[in-house]
Amino acid sequence: MNYRSSVEILTEWDIVAARQLGRNEAKEVGFGTVDQARITTAISELARNIYLYAGKGKIEIERILEGGSFGIIIIASDEGPGIPDVRKVMEDGFSTSGGLGAGMPGVKRLMDDFKIETVIGEGTVIKATKWIR
Amino acid sequence: MNLRIPILKLKDCLIVSIQWELDDQTALQFQEDLLTKMHETSARGVVIDLTPIDFIDSFIAKVLGDVISMSGLMGAQVVITGIQPAVAITLIELGIRLENVMTALDLENGLEKLQRELED
Amino acid sequence: MIKKVATFIQDNLDEILIRWQELMKEDTEERFFQVMSQNVIDNTSREFAELMISHLLEGENSYESRLNEFTSKVVRFGWSISFVVKAITNFAKIVFQMLEEKEIITDQNMKEYVDIFTSWVTPMQNGIVETYAQKWERTVQLQKIALQELSASLIPVFDKISVMPLVGTIDTERAKQIMENLLEGVVKHRAEVVLLDITGVPVVDTMVAHHIIQAADAVRLVGAKCMLVGIRPEIAQTIVTLGINLQDFTTTSTLQRGVEQALAWTNRKIVEVEEN
Repeated sequence: MNYRSSVEILTEWDIVAARQLGRNEAKEVGFGTVDQARITTAISELARNIYLYAGKGKIEIERILEGGSFGIIIIASDEGPGIPDVRKVMEDGFSTSGGLGAGMPGVKRLMDDFKIETVIGEGTVIKATKWIR
Repeated sequence: MNLRIPILKLKDCLIVSIQWELDDQTALQFQEDLLTKMHETSARGVVIDLTPIDFIDSFIAKVLGDVISMSGLMGAQVVITGIQPAVAITLIELGIRLENVMTALDLENGLEKLQRELED
Repeated sequence: MIKKVATFIQDNLDEILIRWQELMKEDTEERFFQVMSQNVIDNTSREFAELMISHLLEGENSYESRLNEFTSKVVRFGWSISFVVKAITNFAKIVFQMLEEKEIITDQNMKEYVDIFTSWVTPMQNGIVETYAQKWERTVQLQKIALQELSASLIPVFDKISVMPLVGTIDTERAKQIMENLLEGVVKHRAEVVLLDITGVPVVDTMVAHHIIQAADAVRLVGAKCMLVGIRPEIAQTIVTLGINLQDFTTTSTLQRGVEQALAWTNRKIVEVEEN
């Protein structure tokens, strides 16, 4: 049972589109209000990162079923410059955009599972999963 | 689609109720509008009500934080009201604590708190 | 041939059961055969044998209802799953041995009998494992719900003041649940002050403290104040020893003092009324 939908991130407006998609998906899969907010926020952070650092990319949302529980995977992929030091990006308070630096570690805390694959010069794929409790 | 957030004046306070999801442009526009209005009216207090908002990401949180600091510089106290439980939880998990921010349960409560603060 | 095995078991049931019980008693980990009276052992053994035979003879249908009955009985005895599986294996082993001894199974028909035994025992073991798994799953589910019900609700004590007593160990999962209940409660009851009572929390380590600090921060964001009460001496000691910073927090030792403080924050106090 895999069902995937996606939004291309090219402009600031696409960030709004991506999180709206995420919110609807989360609602349909059956997440509670707090988890809906977590998923929407995580998508917003990931989409903004694509917009700021890679210029373009896409957010995909996949519904998953494993071991009798439903969940959602957010796949954020871009063909940007890649992340030179993943460990540094995952440190609290690290940011190169002058934001609050909540970025990646924040997203990790919002979700249940978080993976980064990045290749310098080729791009980055981030997969973040949330299960219904 | 670029809607502006209405800013109301009540005595020496400004009241803002954010009714829909903020995109980046609207948020920045709001920051500018609020500061301009504050300057025009020399308001001493601002209540920003977020009751209908169901999520806040780090960008919007930063804009809000900035608005509060900027207002402070212009001599106005800001109270944020109506942050939903789900929003509060995601903010904390993101690592955004919004320290030194006055908060209240709802608009009414917020106005009361602000009045008390301004009387002191 | 199946019929022959079944009749054989029925005819020699007493001997089979004696040998089976002996074999089962060798397992010293399961104390059923050591502790229970011979009477109970005999009855249970007979019931067990009937189940074995019924599966051999009758189709799946009557077997299934019997299996459910039997497993629920066995679960009540507290038989472990490995013990039940062993019981089935041993039973089949003995029957096979006796058939060999009586020379009903010979070298010529060995293969056919092996087939019969395999298709007899394997589905049975699968069925038992499955039933057990379902029962466990149900138990786990129920316990989860019970734990969720246990995991803290917000009690309004005065206008604008609520208390949340925390009881038991706090792990990450529970901490999230507590935070949700706390915030929903604050908004619902329009509480301006909440007192988190940790009298019933056995250990406050860095992780628990972290969760409490987060909860208090979130409470501040929705527009209320959070106070930590019920700090026992040993908890105060661990908090300081671990270097956990609760400076930004109002904390008191007892709920009573916490309530007084909360009343003060909301510009009220309790006064004694003179009798007329």
